[in-house]
Amino acid sequence: MKFLPYILKNVLRNKLRSVFTGLSIAVSLFLVTVLYAYINMQDEVGKESEKYARIVVTAKQGLMFPVPIAHLDKVRAMQGVKAASPLAWFGGKYKDDKIPFAQFATDTSAIFTVLDEFTVPPEQLSAWQKDRSGCVVGEKIARKRGWTFGDKVVLKGDIYPVNLELTVDGIYDGPESSDREMLFYHYEYLDELLKQARSQLAGNAGTIFVKAQSADMLPSLMTQIQARFASSDSPVRAVTEQAFRQMFTEMLGNVRAYIRNVALAVVVSLVCVAGNAMAMSLRERTREVAVLKAIGFSRTTVMSLVLFEAMVIAVGGGLVGTLGARALFTFGDISFMAIPGFAAFYVPWSTVIFALAIAAAVGLASGMIPAWRAARMSVVDGLRKVV
Amino acid sequence: MVPIKYNIRSLRNRWVSSLMTILGTGLVVWASVLAFGLADGLDHTLAISGDPLDLIVMRKGATSETNSIISESTAREIDTLAGVATDAAGNKLYSSELVVVVNTPRRGEQAGSANLIVRGVPPVGKQVRTGFRIVEGRENKPGLREAITSRTMARRFVGAGLGEKLDIFDAPFEIVGIFEAGGSASESEVWTDLEVLAQATKREGVRSALQIRVNSPDDAATLMNRIENDEQFGLKAVTEPQYFLDQAQAGMAIKIVGRTIAIVLTIGAMFAVANTMYAAVASRAREIGTLRAVGFSRRTVLASFLLESLLLCLAGGAVGCLGALPLNGLSTGTANWATFSELTFSFRFGPAVLAQAVLLAVLMGVIGGLFPAIRATRMKIVDALREI
Amino acid sequence: MTNSAPETLVKLREVSKEYMRDKIHVPVLSNTSLDIPKGEFVAVMGPSGSGKSTLLNLVAGIDRPTTGTIIVAGQVLNDLSESKLTRWRSHHLGFIFQLYNLMPVLTAFENVELPLLLTPLSKRQRAEHVRTALRIVGLSDRMDHYPRQLSGGQEQRVAIARALVNDPVLLLADEPTGNLDATAAQEILDLLQQLNEEFEKTIIMVTHDPRAARRAHRMLHLEKGTFVETELDALEAAG
Repeated sequence: MKFLPYILKNVLRNKLRSVFTGLSIAVSLFLVTVLYAYINMQDEVGKESEKYARIVVTAKQGLMFPVPIAHLDKVRAMQGVKAASPLAWFGGKYKDDKIPFAQFATDTSAIFTVLDEFTVPPEQLSAWQKDRSGCVVGEKIARKRGWTFGDKVVLKGDIYPVNLELTVDGIYDGPESSDREMLFYHYEYLDELLKQARSQLAGNAGTIFVKAQSADMLPSLMTQIQARFASSDSPVRAVTEQAFRQMFTEMLGNVRAYIRNVALAVVVSLVCVAGNAMAMSLRERTREVAVLKAIGFSRTTVMSLVLFEAMVIAVGGGLVGTLGARALFTFGDISFMAIPGFAAFYVPWSTVIFALAIAAAVGLASGMIPAWRAARMSVVDGLRKVV
Repeated sequence: MVPIKYNIRSLRNRWVSSLMTILGTGLVVWASVLAFGLADGLDHTLAISGDPLDLIVMRKGATSETNSIISESTAREIDTLAGVATDAAGNKLYSSELVVVVNTPRRGEQAGSANLIVRGVPPVGKQVRTGFRIVEGRENKPGLREAITSRTMARRFVGAGLGEKLDIFDAPFEIVGIFEAGGSASESEVWTDLEVLAQATKREGVRSALQIRVNSPDDAATLMNRIENDEQFGLKAVTEPQYFLDQAQAGMAIKIVGRTIAIVLTIGAMFAVANTMYAAVASRAREIGTLRAVGFSRRTVLASFLLESLLLCLAGGAVGCLGALPLNGLSTGTANWATFSELTFSFRFGPAVLAQAVLLAVLMGVIGGLFPAIRATRMKIVDALREI
Repeated sequence: MTNSAPETLVKLREVSKEYMRDKIHVPVLSNTSLDIPKGEFVAVMGPSGSGKSTLLNLVAGIDRPTTGTIIVAGQVLNDLSESKLTRWRSHHLGFIFQLYNLMPVLTAFENVELPLLLTPLSKRQRAEHVRTALRIVGLSDRMDHYPRQLSGGQEQRVAIARALVNDPVLLLADEPTGNLDATAAQEILDLLQQLNEEFEKTIIMVTHDPRAARRAHRMLHLEKGTFVETELDALEAAG
């Protein structure tokens, strides 16, 4: 593009204005990126979980009702089950965190077979299995909180009337879309404490995560599990992990609509703001545009020059905003955004691309009217202006 | 003081630029008002839900009624404790209830599903709740698979409309009435008969929580102490306002997110306002020079441009507020993470929300207009007069 | 230059131009005819509002006549659409303005290169043309300067180089010396004369300045929208 130097020089002509327009777009698109990442991340995680061939067993009456731990062995005995582990949400308070991070009571010998996207070095795993009050934490949360092996993590019970005093024995890692901000500890440890406290909550598996031998076994396995406990005191519901996650996503229902509305308002607002800045720039350059046309620049060329200039500013701002959002959520601690049941927050590349497309569209839309006016402007009037 | 007419005419003179800026800031205010209105509506619902003379008794450690379990026999013992109020007929105003969560599809395509709270209530339960009244249809009859719900729920969920059948654990319950409960959290629930629900969910002999009416705050304190301190019960009692205050934690996320959105967008808008005002200052250099030559002080020129910026943003703020008002009272819902169920409430744009919106507009105007206004005062009169 | 009857480059036939100002018709040119042979250097004079600039704009095709025909280099301008006219202009015309109208953000080199960006020339070819044009106007050593770093006379030279760079047959100059001091004005006029004589450029120059007009072969005097042809000497005598 041989006009690029000229376009760039025009962008930099009124540096303050371009920077302000860019920053306005950057800040707003940062927000849009974060909001949409919230939606996209859920969808992506949901889709991801499909390939893991897992079933989540909950009490039929809902998550708040117990699933007896005795169910676990019965599930394990079923045909098509590769592994199964309880996953009981502890929801304990760590130091002065407002919203707890995910802490699960699990079966140490089964959990990483069930959640096989995670990897733990074998020696750490066996150390953990031998340490009754040990725990394994996600790589991301360990990094954020500076935990290393041997560190003590004390969780104050909120739902449960007991406190956990855990030692970090291992750190697990996993793919980007996976939740690497969880903490796993021994189910037996929790249950023992609950029994000592004579709590009614003892013997509750919370949920049971089941890994099937293959994905095509899921439907029959779910029916089998539900049928097995249908007439017991504690009937269960068995759904795919995807459906389980979707349940949380759907609970947000109106939040999604709200996010879309905010994003739309932001986009329209940016078109006004950037369009205004572009119009102001061109008003100050009326004569120059007239000269361009006088020396033979066609309407189309003049129009494209203006449109490109608007796009450079908008996409520049967009890059700062979206990449800033991705960087912040990859390296920063934003645990207050976490919502139970979800993978820790991250910004998927698909969202970055989406936000950049918005930036380009904002640039195009904001440049449209100024470009059209520049192209349509009479050369004679333009040259006469401000003599 | 430079007359305000001068600013208004200048804004009108550059009306396209002014209009764009007003629209740009207006939309930002609009989005912020929506966020504030959401939080305000949620707060309001939870705030009016509590009556300090109503106590909720739950299992120790439970965070909400949905994860509390009390055996029927324990529930009966509480009944006998002193301090429970009675109605005119001498019945104790004490309601032991069963709460279950049912995943139900929302109305509308791709609206997904949400958990709704189904509450099994004995006949006395409705008396315990202030403001409860049937507004359409009739009350559900004890012993029958009948249920009542609020207008909002009827509109939002499949099968919850009057005359429709709602599936509760594979059993169809006919909706026979629509009730109101003063806009409280009860309006996010479906009510049916306690025994019928216990049967349908195979939870006979199990209660979730007790709702107790007391006569005075003193009685409340005594009763709460009595229940908390009895190790045998393993129960705790809280006043309704306290209970909903704890649940309001769920609204915290919405508030934090809403405020973050508003602040981030306001910062973005400040840059836009600064752009507009810088251009205004640049194009009016000669006018500024003239004002100064005539004898207006630097401070007066500064004030004049700040005022102009403020006018611009207040107009934007007005646009944003007016644009949001039609949504006032629009019902919406969000997940109540304390109960893992849907809490319905309405957008509320009360004075506090509008005041916050005006505050945002003022911030945009003052901060966004400050540096351009300073530039205006820094111009040398001679140079400014020479500008074209 | 040949001695045979020179080819007519610019031909105006009964051209009129009216503007509408506040719903009032303002006649600027009325029924004007004009022939300018190839290779001529014509000065157009006249008081303000006499229609000088309008004439120039019509010949440049950036304005259209109300009635009448304009033929430049064998092309009937009336027939061309806006976009064809634009393209035609970029190949056949060079424009020189009173206020130079250089792009302040571009260097002298880049300003001159601007019209060439519309041609399929390669980067290297473009650079060659630009250097040639700047050498002709005597600014080879100022290529990387920005307009604000140049004197008025130098800015106008850059503008002339920009007008020259695509080797047009016709140069149109609107008060090229109007903003310059006497010395700089003389230098610019020397340059225009050189372009006319050495490079055989046909030049139409609008000016107020009789000294500038003296450099031309022919002087056209416009008064209230019609030509009054005057001999230079007569003007000298009068002035």
